[in-house]
Amino acid sequence: MNRGVLFIGILIAAALVVILFVGLGKDPAAIRSPLVGKPAPAFALREVGTNNTIDIAQYRGKPLIINFWATWCGPCWEEHPILVANARMLQPNVQFLGVVFQDKEDKILGFLQQRGTAYPTVVDDRGKTAIAYGVGGVPETYFLDANGVIRAKFAGPMSGDVIQANLQKVLR
Amino acid sequence: MILLVLLLSLKVPDAQQFVGAPQGTPVAGAQLYQRTHEVASLLRCPVCQGMSVADSPSEMAINMKEQVRELLARGYTEEQILKYFELSYGQFVLLKPKSWVVWTLPIIVLVLGIALVIMKIRKLQGGAAGSQPAETPPETDPYLAQVRDLVSGEKP
Repeated sequence: MNRGVLFIGILIAAALVVILFVGLGKDPAAIRSPLVGKPAPAFALREVGTNNTIDIAQYRGKPLIINFWATWCGPCWEEHPILVANARMLQPNVQFLGVVFQDKEDKILGFLQQRGTAYPTVVDDRGKTAIAYGVGGVPETYFLDANGVIRAKFAGPMSGDVIQANLQKVLR
Repeated sequence: MILLVLLLSLKVPDAQQFVGAPQGTPVAGAQLYQRTHEVASLLRCPVCQGMSVADSPSEMAINMKEQVRELLARGYTEEQILKYFELSYGQFVLLKPKSWVVWTLPIIVLVLGIALVIMKIRKLQGGAAGSQPAETPPETDPYLAQVRDLVSGEKP
């Protein structure tokens, strides 16, 4: 066989193997967000069922876990008890905050009353906060450090291990 | 009164945090409708399969389109709006990738491929022209000689 053709073939095959190896080694849910490493977009939203405003600036000084979710999202139902259990375990050293968008207030309240909660939930009425955070679907979770810098983003329902692993990135 | 206090205390992330003050002229009326559609056509709907924000009926796309409209009305330029969405979602959200590699690499690979094929064809043609069949050497293999004799009808 022609040596030149063989060399090019090996080069292409090697490049494909490297790309596949790098791609398959990644966790598809650990999304690389351009916001990771940058200050989290500031927001102050209304707490569901109340007239209280929650400003994320009030949580500076401790890690903050912001979970975007909705009642119509199946994986959010699956994730909710894990979030509540971890919030009960980690708060007040770590703060949890739920942000609901594309949803109705009565449904959110019904969900929280039925399934319980351990942290505040705010309503993102027209999805502006979700857009600023680059939310593509729910659930998506952002891990902020004590200075309000986003250190990790996770797409999909989280397990206790995923929460712990991402908190490690925040505390690093 | 409580409602007013509540509304004043609410704060959503604003494009100004990301891309600064508007650098264009505010757009209104029919032109606003037209420009919203044009700019939204350049953005990928993050929850759809290859649809633009302008074409998708999803609530996420509707919210994004609404935001495009608002930013145009405030005087943000197309570049600023695309940059704003790119800073949140990454280049994924742009339907026309900015990276020059995406546009030029296929052309470079195509040119290289054509060059390789031409070189190969020339080599084959040159090889065929340069390798005229040499004079047939006198028959040395007794087996071949026997076969040739059989074919020509001569008996060994």
